Amino acid sequence: MSRYVIGRIGQAVLVLWAAFTVSFGLLQALPGDAILIKFLNPELGLGPEQIADIRTSYGADSPLVVQYVHTAINFLTGNFGYSIHAGVPVGDLIVANLPPTLWLSTLGFLLSLVFAITLAALSALSPFAWLRAFIQSIPALFISTPVFWLGILLIQIFSFQLRLVPIINPGPWQALILPVLTLAVPISAPLAQILMRNIDHVLTEPFVAVARAKGASHRWVLWKHVAKNAVLPTLTIGGILFGELLAGAVVTEAVFGLNGLGGLTQRSVNDQDIAVLQAIVVFSAAAFVVINLTVDLLYPIFDPRLKVRQGVVA
Amino acid sequence: MFNIRRFRKTAGLAVLLGGTLLAGASGWGAAQAAGSDEKPARGGTLVYLEQQSHTNLYPPAGGFYPNGGILNQITDKLTYQNPKTLEIEPWIAESWTVNADATEYTFKIRKGVTFSDGTPLDAAAVAKNYDTFGRGNKDLKLPVSEVINNYDCSEVIDHQTVKFYFKKPSPGFLQGTSVIGSGLVSPKTLALPYEALGDATKIIGSGPFMVANETLGRELTLKVRADYSWGPAKLEHQGRAYLDEIKYIITPEDSVRIGALLAGQADIIRQIQAYDEKQVEDEGYLIYAPSTRGVNNSIVFRPDNPLVADIRVRRALLHATNADEIVSTLFSTNYPKATSIIAKTASGYVDLSSKLSYDIEKAKQLLDKAGWKLGSNGRRQKDGQILELSAYESLPQPQNKETLQLVAQQWEKVGVKLNVLTADSGSAVVNNLDPAKAPVSPAMVGRADPDVIKSQYYPTNRNVLLQKGGNGDKVQSFVDERLNALLDQLASEPDRSKRLAVASEVQNYVVDQAYAIPIFEEPQAFAAAPYVKGVSFEAVGRPSFYNTWLAPRR
Repeated sequence: MSRYVIGRIGQAVLVLWAAFTVSFGLLQALPGDAILIKFLNPELGLGPEQIADIRTSYGADSPLVVQYVHTAINFLTGNFGYSIHAGVPVGDLIVANLPPTLWLSTLGFLLSLVFAITLAALSALSPFAWLRAFIQSIPALFISTPVFWLGILLIQIFSFQLRLVPIINPGPWQALILPVLTLAVPISAPLAQILMRNIDHVLTEPFVAVARAKGASHRWVLWKHVAKNAVLPTLTIGGILFGELLAGAVVTEAVFGLNGLGGLTQRSVNDQDIAVLQAIVVFSAAAFVVINLTVDLLYPIFDPRLKVRQGVVA
Repeated sequence: MFNIRRFRKTAGLAVLLGGTLLAGASGWGAAQAAGSDEKPARGGTLVYLEQQSHTNLYPPAGGFYPNGGILNQITDKLTYQNPKTLEIEPWIAESWTVNADATEYTFKIRKGVTFSDGTPLDAAAVAKNYDTFGRGNKDLKLPVSEVINNYDCSEVIDHQTVKFYFKKPSPGFLQGTSVIGSGLVSPKTLALPYEALGDATKIIGSGPFMVANETLGRELTLKVRADYSWGPAKLEHQGRAYLDEIKYIITPEDSVRIGALLAGQADIIRQIQAYDEKQVEDEGYLIYAPSTRGVNNSIVFRPDNPLVADIRVRRALLHATNADEIVSTLFSTNYPKATSIIAKTASGYVDLSSKLSYDIEKAKQLLDKAGWKLGSNGRRQKDGQILELSAYESLPQPQNKETLQLVAQQWEKVGVKLNVLTADSGSAVVNNLDPAKAPVSPAMVGRADPDVIKSQYYPTNRNVLLQKGGNGDKVQSFVDERLNALLDQLASEPDRSKRLAVASEVQNYVVDQAYAIPIFEEPQAFAAAPYVKGVSFEAVGRPSFYNTWLAPRR
């Protein structure tokens, strides 16, 4: 077991290093850089010599290897540098933007699970074929709903027309209601789809027929035999969907004017604020690694067969 | 890459569709306009929705509107430019003297002024500010302010008197002391490196409000300074500001800002597009569109590119551009058609509308004469080359992409192709410095002094024409010595009437050379609820809430 865990941690470090290096290379390859974008901005009206001075003071024109090593050492010591665009330490930006994103994506993900399970259950229990077909087509509708449209529509209805939740100056929970709803809809779609397909698939397995033959009711079979087996692939997809959450958060945050990593990423990409982007890439890679590790460790709980195999490996 | 602006526009449309369905549910009618003889009420919080979060708040970076909107409340300036008369009036400086050739300025500083950290705002503090703005500070990476030309040094004569010396005449300096980029900050703020100044709580000014707290990128709260008693001397209102608090909330989405304003969740919003104005006014809300009084929203050429090196081609395109159509199709009456390269309300303005006529026949003739003949595909050609130009849209300018696309349609009528390009900031910045890639470019800048023309065209300033010797290393050879000489003269002519004459000459020259096609006078558009009274704007359109108060809502 310990060798397994050490191996996983080693992998994680490797993934983080690769993410750091690749993003560093890609960001350097882009035309222009943050200093150019910030200081060539006509609002400042700086001359070429002044810009050259600023570039020297930031070490922007030193060799790539030097910059790479410098940045890497700084990261290892927890110094993420300064955002050239915002004029604050990157650490401050992450601290200001990470918690709202975590809340938004965690709640969004939980709500999407609720949606997905509800839809799957309704479809599995529905007595009519036409109703089943209808419910099974809902995920397609959900996934093709543009997030920004949905967000704005929800704001228009619930905040501006019905005046149920304020968008400006909301309380901490009020602030999350509409964005979480907006984010959950598209995320729930693939989850619901996978869950439904797996339920259908598992229902055709021989052990279900055996259970039925022993006199188990449809409901009993669904809850006791099918659900557990159908949830595994959903879990895998759930881990992967974390990336979607971050992407969906860009739009949700823009529409609702929320602080968050999504919006920060979008702004930083646009301004080529490399220090911020590097930090975000490393943080996101870390989050992915942790989530996927958690998913791997959760498997055996749902499927005892995996527990045995893992025991052998360790 | 995700384009936030395009997305917003689409979103607006989507809401329009959704909104029509919901219109029946909305019961709130037009608010009533209040009388003007009411007495200002003290207290309350003004909720201000801003489109973008502020960036670095080093005062010379105050030109960026989100920054200016904050700095204008928390900093005072040496002088106050009356937005109506454009005269320079006393503020932190009680009085001043200027020598005959505008190389020495002496300011008498008002007594008893303090920064919000308690440090006195005296001659030494003023000297420290201008030494930093005028020369920059390499160790702290603080750049030079663009409004201060030819600065040499300062001398503190006594506690309340400071003198500035210039290497060459600097007649624009007095007006430069009144602009948003010249806000006075505590010496403690100026001791911080540039990277630390994006944190609003570090910006210590002497203004009527001070920063109470900030959630980066989301929200900023300003609190009134109860002991403030040094507003611009000629203003009727003296003493502390009426409001207790101003809350800035970043709301990037256009339709959410407008919706929140109309739903009573906000009091004033910045940036409202012309096509949304009617909706807001129909509800009884107010549109404020103060002029930016600077260089008009224009299209400029980069004559280093051989395609637009011929003056006849540039003139032809100037006459092929129908500014009336652009203004009436895309904008509103708040966006007056341009009649020179600078706004009517800018100082030094001359009316050049006779030179800016829309004349498609003349355009065709000029292109024929220049040797660009219509080919079978409807495009102008010469020596096997097609007259095809490109321009990058400028995100901060209102509906710039739409404007450029309409210009492209107009030029199409004389057989010239204009490609309107969109790129991420990085590529746009780099490519826009290359005359080969961007022979045409949108441009504008606001400032109420003729110096603004120099800022715009001079090679070592904004260099919009991309002359050699400026910030573009892709420029082959284009230099216009005559233009630069005129601009130098404009920035250093101490005699006011001679200076205005030079300003007129520059405007004529730029239009005669057809370096720029002026389109409209750009305002900054705000919308406010009818109970928000006494909203004022400094000379180039940044809001000032010193005078603002909240009447009871009805």
